[in-house]
Amino acid sequence: MKNYLLAWRNLWRNRRRTMITAASVLFAVFFALLMRSMQLGSYDHMFKNAIESYTGYIQIQHEDWWDDRTVDNSFTVTDSLRRKLESDKNVITTIPRFESFALASVETKTKGVMVMGIDPDKENLLSKVRDKKVKYRITGDVVQEIENDDRLPEKTREVVSLFEDHSYTNAGRLLMDLKINMDKKETYLPILESHAFFKNGDIQMGEPGVWLGDNLSRYLEMEIGDTLVLISQGYHATTAAGKYEIKGIVKQPVPDVDSRVVYMPVDMARQFYNAGQNLTSIAVHLEKNDEKEVTNTRARLAEKLEQPLVVKDWREMNELLIQQMEADNKSGMIMIAILYLVIAFGVFGTILMMTAERRREMGVLVAIGMQKRKLAAVVSYEMAYIGIMGILAGVALAIPFILYGQHNPIVFKGEMALMFEDYGFEPLLAFKSIDRYFLWQMVVVGLIVLASLTYPLSRIFRLKVVNALKA
Amino acid sequence: MKPAHTFILTALMTFGILVNLNAQELTAKEVIREADDQINGEESSISEMSMTIVRPTWERTVEFKNWVKGSDYALTLITAPASEKGQTYLKRGNEMWNWNPSISRLIKLPPSMMSQGWMGSDYTNDDILKESSVVEDYTHRFLGEEVIEGRMCYKIKMEAKENAAVIWGHQVRWIDKTDFLFMKAELYDEDGYLVRTELGKEIRRMDGRLIPSVLELIPEEEDGHKTIVTIEKIEFNVPINDRFFSQQNMKKVR
Repeated sequence: MKNYLLAWRNLWRNRRRTMITAASVLFAVFFALLMRSMQLGSYDHMFKNAIESYTGYIQIQHEDWWDDRTVDNSFTVTDSLRRKLESDKNVITTIPRFESFALASVETKTKGVMVMGIDPDKENLLSKVRDKKVKYRITGDVVQEIENDDRLPEKTREVVSLFEDHSYTNAGRLLMDLKINMDKKETYLPILESHAFFKNGDIQMGEPGVWLGDNLSRYLEMEIGDTLVLISQGYHATTAAGKYEIKGIVKQPVPDVDSRVVYMPVDMARQFYNAGQNLTSIAVHLEKNDEKEVTNTRARLAEKLEQPLVVKDWREMNELLIQQMEADNKSGMIMIAILYLVIAFGVFGTILMMTAERRREMGVLVAIGMQKRKLAAVVSYEMAYIGIMGILAGVALAIPFILYGQHNPIVFKGEMALMFEDYGFEPLLAFKSIDRYFLWQMVVVGLIVLASLTYPLSRIFRLKVVNALKA
Repeated sequence: MKPAHTFILTALMTFGILVNLNAQELTAKEVIREADDQINGEESSISEMSMTIVRPTWERTVEFKNWVKGSDYALTLITAPASEKGQTYLKRGNEMWNWNPSISRLIKLPPSMMSQGWMGSDYTNDDILKESSVVEDYTHRFLGEEVIEGRMCYKIKMEAKENAAVIWGHQVRWIDKTDFLFMKAELYDEDGYLVRTELGKEIRRMDGRLIPSVLELIPEEEDGHKTIVTIEKIEFNVPINDRFFSQQNMKKVR
């Protein structure tokens, strides 16, 4: 009888044993896949966050701008250039930006600020600055009011002073900080709003108004309606100076940005820097932004541009983030190595038991004249079947979980969520869809099974018939 | 108001004096003093100048008007381009102030801004304010004679004295032999590296005096950078009241 047939029949001679061994492989594959999927998924998610909150997937810039961000490295934008870019099939629209630095001055206080000239409407497609406008602010007076308002729960009144000087862009976070349960939202939010609501305005193209970062507004002690004076060096070393009305306060999750950023309409920024029709960059809003489409679109746009303009993709613009992620990926790999170790012992343990169980059987086979080599081949086939079954079943089991997780990411609540938000990320755990990493997990688990096989094989070759028969 | 002031000073320095001196009898120090005395000898001046800033990929021109009295008072009004028109700079002693009408702010230039270029040019704020004397703070030595722009010049090396508060290690100046005009200067840092070259060009008679009407400043370390100042019009010894150089006047002078 052929070895592989013999092995197959052997498997089903003791169904339970086979199932247990296959199950250990199945779980190995299942957990390795889920863990890797979550790791890779969170990286992707963070990239997406970073990209979509600022740089976008593709930008058009002057070739020297990225390394030397002076207004002199801005470029003239003509209608024909815009049309050329927007005619690409994957481009929805182009988002103009004019970024530079300035000194902001209020009475005796001065601070270096980052001036972001944006089109407030178009920017909603990408960085969504409008969503970051402060909605609630807890000032010293507000703390007093809330502490003295007996309509509010005791707990809220106790903790409110801890959050003096905090600003909130949404109600959820405010309620959480003030220890109000989401299901009581209807009752208490209107009361809180009556105390802490922050009246915030809008900036419009053509109007000399600005939005300040929350921290910056505190540092300069400026309120909505105050006038901000900006001084800088403009295009071709001209003097840039202007007065702007503060229309609103925005809260950026990254503290470094929050304490330096000033948003103004892009046409006002151009005027301030005496930069004519120039922009420092154009963020291109894409319809499809998967890896392949981005690369293709980038190549198509690059062909349309003339010197000195260049196309930058998100990889080039987020080098630091990519490096951080790679470093983090290393620790992820250590985690997964530990998981493999646990898995390996699980699989090995099961095989060890199986071998011990069959010692007598193997002794009999050898005693009646079966070659040890043939026996080893049969056992190898058995293990191969079990391995393949386990791996395939594991993949089959993991796929629905991963597909589900991909569309319904795990959302963190409470403290964990705050931690994510403080880093400027959405507090959720995403899954990466089926990709090349699947293959790797299968290969690794396959290797573990293969390595475990050395134990039964060595037992077979060292088998002493007399001892084995007594077992 | 720094570069403008320097320009004026340089312009004045470049004056030939009509005194009939026998050059051969002068020492190097006396030649420099002769030129320098012309500046300090001038009571005041009112001038109109234009300054072209040349950079590798662009150039632009700023026009301004200067009122200068002695070495302590100067007021500069920017008259073009439109986006910068109306800005004024006031120098009083070793302090400098800037008035910007678009933000209605009067700013005293802080020490940290002293090494920055005035209006984006290669002239630094320090160039205007510095109080060092080309006569007292240096030792002078003839290096020979050379022809610059068709004029026979003394070539004089000036070594900074050890305790002098000057930013240059040494200078080499070329001074016209007959009219005592500063035709060329090379300024070196303490390590002996050439930092900038200044050239006097297009000598014209203005308000009765012979002066180089174009001054060029070429920084050594930046390729393609240059600042050219042209004196369009200048009047000397016009009486100006000290009170003209006030912060109030910065806001209304036209």
